Amino acid sequence: MKVNRRDMLIGGAGALAGLVLTPVPWKLLSDVSIWTQNFPWIPQPAHGPVETKYSVCTLCEGGCGMRVRMAANYPVGVAGVGSHPLTRGALCPLAFAAHQLNWHPRRLREVRHAGRAASWTEAQAAFQKACGEGPIAIVDGRPGRAASSVFEAFTRKRRGSYQIVLSAESQALAPYANWSGVPVASLGFDLENARTVVSFGAPVLDGWGTPGRFTRLWSERAGGAADPQLRLIQIEPTLSRTAARAWQWVPVREGSEAALAAGVARVLWEERLVTSQGPLPQLPPAEAAAQTGLTPEAIRELAQRMVENRPAVVIAADGNPAIAALNVLLGAVGTPGGIVKKRKDVPSRVPADSVPGPLRAVLVDSTVPWEFAAPTDAEVFRFAAWDGGGNSAGWLLPAPVFLEELTDVPTPPTSARETYAVALNLAEPPREVRSAAQFLLQIDPTLPAVEKLIHARCEEIYRARQGTVYGEHPTAVAKLDSAQHFEEQLRQGAVWMGEPPGPGKLRCELKEWPMENRVAHAGSWATAWVPPVFPALATKLYQESNLREPPAGRQA
Amino acid sequence: MSARYGFVIDLDRCTGCGACTVACAAENNVPPAQARATPRTGLTPMLVRKVSNGMEGTARREAFIPIACMHCGNETPCVSVCPQQAVEVDKATGIVVQMPQRCLGCRYCMTACPYHARYFNWWDPAWPVGMEKSLNPGVAVRMRGVVEKCNMCPARLHSAQEKAAAAGRKEIDPADYIPACAEACPTGAILFGNLADEKDPVFPAAHSSDAFRLLARLGTEPKVYYKSQQAWVKALAERDSDRATEARHG
Repeated sequence: MKVNRRDMLIGGAGALAGLVLTPVPWKLLSDVSIWTQNFPWIPQPAHGPVETKYSVCTLCEGGCGMRVRMAANYPVGVAGVGSHPLTRGALCPLAFAAHQLNWHPRRLREVRHAGRAASWTEAQAAFQKACGEGPIAIVDGRPGRAASSVFEAFTRKRRGSYQIVLSAESQALAPYANWSGVPVASLGFDLENARTVVSFGAPVLDGWGTPGRFTRLWSERAGGAADPQLRLIQIEPTLSRTAARAWQWVPVREGSEAALAAGVARVLWEERLVTSQGPLPQLPPAEAAAQTGLTPEAIRELAQRMVENRPAVVIAADGNPAIAALNVLLGAVGTPGGIVKKRKDVPSRVPADSVPGPLRAVLVDSTVPWEFAAPTDAEVFRFAAWDGGGNSAGWLLPAPVFLEELTDVPTPPTSARETYAVALNLAEPPREVRSAAQFLLQIDPTLPAVEKLIHARCEEIYRARQGTVYGEHPTAVAKLDSAQHFEEQLRQGAVWMGEPPGPGKLRCELKEWPMENRVAHAGSWATAWVPPVFPALATKLYQESNLREPPAGRQA
Repeated sequence: MSARYGFVIDLDRCTGCGACTVACAAENNVPPAQARATPRTGLTPMLVRKVSNGMEGTARREAFIPIACMHCGNETPCVSVCPQQAVEVDKATGIVVQMPQRCLGCRYCMTACPYHARYFNWWDPAWPVGMEKSLNPGVAVRMRGVVEKCNMCPARLHSAQEKAAAAGRKEIDPADYIPACAEACPTGAILFGNLADEKDPVFPAAHSSDAFRLLARLGTEPKVYYKSQQAWVKALAERDSDRATEARHG
């Protein structure tokens, strides 16, 4: 049979038509499209067993409950925990990408001395030598932890001093501590029972205190309603996020908050809106109006609004006593819905900005904000998980990061009730890292181990038989059968919360009305964020959108 | 029975914190910003925009509007222009699904979308060394050169469907399927649910007197509803609708 050109064309066309009817081209197309999605340089997620763990965030002192999704033993997702008694499922925006911080390019992975690589042995020898030569200090950013007890035990043995760094929220409670003699750590804001919250520039809806605590309260009891159960009055020169959502925004001139507080106090007293006895400010309302840029009527109206929906509590952005005094006048100290004293007494601590005498060495824990600079010429041993740059510490010591370290989480500074939680080491830390407590334990093995201290603290809480454990279901501690069971629950992500504060345990006496004009600088939205770096996905908020300002001094 | 999933976002509760934006990116393996990325070239399937009443000083008021794909239910603009059939409206869920494997990167859909809710992947997805271990294993990383948008967290939907199938149920448990943005919202401003189910909390919310939709006059039937009691916020949405309508008709 002779094959001519015509047969060739017909055969070819037939073959093509037949091919289309077979799965071959579609399979090829599918394979090509899948192949182009899987080039070797395209990152692939780790695959392995997927499980959910519960823990507590340790990136700031807020102690928010976290649900961590793990795949192949790596944390791959973070969400809030609805059963957490303070945050009830809410987290700050940065927490949702916090699990990526473990791989941040600025992660410290080696010991550095004077900018050069060094070893743990050298660091240990240098610190031991310093301890032998003179007094030392240990600075802690989150007192009350098991690691804090290790620090205190070490400093007691080595003629050293244990010091703490106070957050802005804790500083706002400092005036009440001065007036009452009760330590700052024993004080808290009873926001759950307040019906009016007057914030003098505190970003209460934007990461203040335990992020999510007040946000949840506001959402449930106000949430933009015209006549809400919880009234939020924001006094601030600019229209911040909190001011934008407040029931009332009172725009005042920058630095005139103390004058406004004095003007309001005069109105409260002159119009007999309060019954408290005590000193009064000398500033007349007209003068207060001139300084703040408000009208005398606006100040009068503000004073009336403070008392028409009580309990009312005033929150300052910092430790300005002129603003804090308003709570004393309002009778909001030691009463439900105001400033309260927690059930348990906490010893008073020395703030790190008042270092007593000359020091040979200062050990700074990784919980201390990166910007902290020890006010001394001593040799500084700085533990940190990330190198934020610009720190003058002689020694930089790589510390474990979020989810890599077993630690306990004591009561957040603004909470009115004691809480206690345990954050487990869910992820494997790099070999090179050590916590400050581990470092000290290697120098002095007679110190108590963190794990034992956590165990002892759990036993102590269990023996007291008070409070409730918030796990899958809230359970009274008194109903648990053993301390071991209690500790197990905490290690599975539950949070213990103590009893509410008793009334009348806190009294503040003012000898004269404090008048301190200071500019309450509204901190950056990232002020409360302790790490010197941001999760990489935070760039969505300020680089790939105009939602927020780029954070000063922090790199994503 | 087919569902009609959608959002109802209460703008009076939104504080503009950005938790939804970050949670969305983490859930869906959206890469962090490339060095040259800007708000115009970035990848933000859930984007929160700040708007104001246009006044200055003490009369100024601001609000935040989370904007994701509106999952248009009628004459879906992106579906009708896509030459690759890379976008589909899933009849079972009402979700407008973007399939990156089919996408050519022509960006017709971006031009057609009246909400600017679609984003082009300008760069290869990249994370710092080691950070790929933190990616969600349930979501494939998309290549450079394709368009991305909100798909209502399909990995979570699949997971809920698998769970229902394992339990012998045909319908998923609503508690098992909540997109990352709604789950992350600390004020509960973002409600998610089945708009076709009268028992679902989103149903009365979407039909409340203060609910509205962006560019409603275009008739695309978005499945994202907004709520606000502030007259200027609602007026803003309607004014934008007017502008958009004028633009379309020259």
